[in-house]
Amino acid sequence: MRIDRTHRAWLIASLIVLGLATGTYVVYAASSPAGPSGGSAIGLTFGIAGSLCMIFAGLLAARKKVPVWRLGRAQTWMRGHLWLGLLSLPLILFHGGFRFGGPLTSVLMVLLIVVVASGIFGALLQHYMPPLMTTRIPMETIFEQIDRVRAQLLAEADGIVEAACGPLNSQSAAPAAGSRSSVATATIATTDTLPLCNFYSRDMRPFLQQQRAQVAALSNPAKADGIFEGLRTLLPVALHATVKNLEDICEEERQLRRQIRYHHWLHGWLMLHVPLSLALLLLGCAHAIMALRY
Amino acid sequence: MARAKLTTKNLAQRIDLEYFKHSHPFRRLRFILSVTLPALALLWLVGYALARNDRIYSGGRMSASHAVLTARCNACHVEQAGIFGAKASDQGCGSCHNAPLHHANQIFTPTCAACHAEHRGHPRLAVTADVSCTQCHANLHTSGAATHFTSGITRFVGGHPEFAASRPGSVDPGTIKLNHAIHLKHNLRGPNGPVQLDCDDCHRTAKPESRWRFGSSTTQVEPVVQNAIPPSMDPERAYMSPVTYAKHCALCHGLQFDARFQEGVPHDTPEVIHAFLVQKFQQYIPNHPADLHATAPNRNLPQQPIPPAVRVLTEQQWVTLRVAESEELMWRKTCAQCHALTFAANAPLPIVAKSNITQRWFQHAVFNHDTHKLLKCVECHSGATTSQETADVLLPGIATCEKCHRGGRGAAESRCFECHTYHDWKQEKRVKGMFTLSASLRNN
Repeated sequence: MRIDRTHRAWLIASLIVLGLATGTYVVYAASSPAGPSGGSAIGLTFGIAGSLCMIFAGLLAARKKVPVWRLGRAQTWMRGHLWLGLLSLPLILFHGGFRFGGPLTSVLMVLLIVVVASGIFGALLQHYMPPLMTTRIPMETIFEQIDRVRAQLLAEADGIVEAACGPLNSQSAAPAAGSRSSVATATIATTDTLPLCNFYSRDMRPFLQQQRAQVAALSNPAKADGIFEGLRTLLPVALHATVKNLEDICEEERQLRRQIRYHHWLHGWLMLHVPLSLALLLLGCAHAIMALRY
Repeated sequence: MARAKLTTKNLAQRIDLEYFKHSHPFRRLRFILSVTLPALALLWLVGYALARNDRIYSGGRMSASHAVLTARCNACHVEQAGIFGAKASDQGCGSCHNAPLHHANQIFTPTCAACHAEHRGHPRLAVTADVSCTQCHANLHTSGAATHFTSGITRFVGGHPEFAASRPGSVDPGTIKLNHAIHLKHNLRGPNGPVQLDCDDCHRTAKPESRWRFGSSTTQVEPVVQNAIPPSMDPERAYMSPVTYAKHCALCHGLQFDARFQEGVPHDTPEVIHAFLVQKFQQYIPNHPADLHATAPNRNLPQQPIPPAVRVLTEQQWVTLRVAESEELMWRKTCAQCHALTFAANAPLPIVAKSNITQRWFQHAVFNHDTHKLLKCVECHSGATTSQETADVLLPGIATCEKCHRGGRGAAESRCFECHTYHDWKQEKRVKGMFTLSASLRNN
């Protein structure tokens, strides 16, 4: 979600709440003989407010499970998640008087800080990366389908090369007779197609198959341009269209790789954010219950 | 073979429309982590619960003096209303401590925990915030008659009145005639020649014990160290010992009363001195009968009969005469040099004013000379070198203290607790211990 003008109301409301909470805390801390304490009336109020913010932020996951329920717009939930989740940190710090306390509360504080920090990191990524992806990955596809698309690209590339050079398992041999592709390439001398066959089998196919040892050159757009330009000089003009097709497939493969990388950045932080949030809520409940006792 | 044109339709056809029904490893890993981490957290809680150990719910590290109770929550958190009522209460504190009230007329009594914040890891619980005191003393009201204490104290630096003893018009109530300036002069006449007195020739704390330069011989006992305790724990290092004649004055200010005797009169009341003189002369004269032949001074007074050149006195007459002479010397010169004596009509002996030497100036605050021993005395008691009157109060004013005790980093402590105590420890009652070592150390 981009943090744009539509967040202004949330930003202002959050700043007002933060300002009021800070003012209250300063007065409270200055007037408390034993210093600020989570067990005092004001400390408890901060704790409850912070916990409610965390619970609301946590409910976003539940809200996503029931997208068809009329529970408000998803964007509103997301904005609430962002701003209330962010607000929960100062409120909880005010609750604890900026002390980490004992073992459980220390764990809670660390969890909260990591969750909020990862959330801020995620929000920044979500703000800056989508436009970048639109620009740099025009062939973006569904992340879960990338492997399937890659397989299709490999098959497509195999088909293109087979059409030009014959069956891939006999690259140096003459093209198989009878097939349409072999007819199309039958007029081209075998020696002419040899550089293409060699390039494909040695460099491009391993690249498409994600064999890491072979990916360095073609995964770099500039180097790839040079490789394909060199290949064109070795091949007759009739095969240049084939080279262009292979070049396009390589570019698409590079974009898919980039998409995977971006996706890991864009969603990888959730590996930390979500599990720790759940642990935080669970331990927070235990803290609240035991705080009633002590 | 030409590549198919990449239209939206073509691209869409690449996608398996059922893809969302299959879990992707990325999502699967997130799910596993989302289950595992909370489960681990739950296990942590359950583990401690099964061990019946509530330590993880502690609000923080205990203070040094309560560290032994770290695993014994119920020592302070006394259950009052079932499982959800175990707040730390004054009742819990009272099982070990008897902390008397601050003042009988106070209108507000805070709970123990309101001032002594536990679970903060403080080395000393007595270290309290100023607001503990200023919540009342910033605008002091009492339940009884109007208080004579300053009612608007907000902090030490800039919010504390001048010390009562150092306010304008304050005088030392002592009656001993002492001129500090003369006593600190160079080449003062000492018992064995010129001396230069130093402050600690008269003003010292009780510990460490050491010989006094100008005490009488009977007070010059070599100090013996017994039950030595660390200086920081020794209350006898805090205040100056009272100045006494025997320890501080005797060697220079002798009480000789007659050339026939080496010893002086006891430093005591006129009655005791009188009895001493009578006894001394009565013991003397039987052994020295020649002294009964009194030779009159060679003087002719107008309209007075010429006395015989030599008179023979009875022992009683002689004693009376000598006692009268000695007392005259004492009352008019020796004693009067330091003491204020009044002579009532028809009274045979003078009345000596009580010395009224103030033993402790700050009745509502504590001070420790030992911790300030790195300073020269006159750094704080600057008036001592020039003071000529007993009435001069030579205590430092608050401004002197504020030079160091100004708060903030790099300065000495300036919070209320540094000088004041809340509890009136004179009222403290004995508390019987309730814990056993084995129980206290269990679970630690």
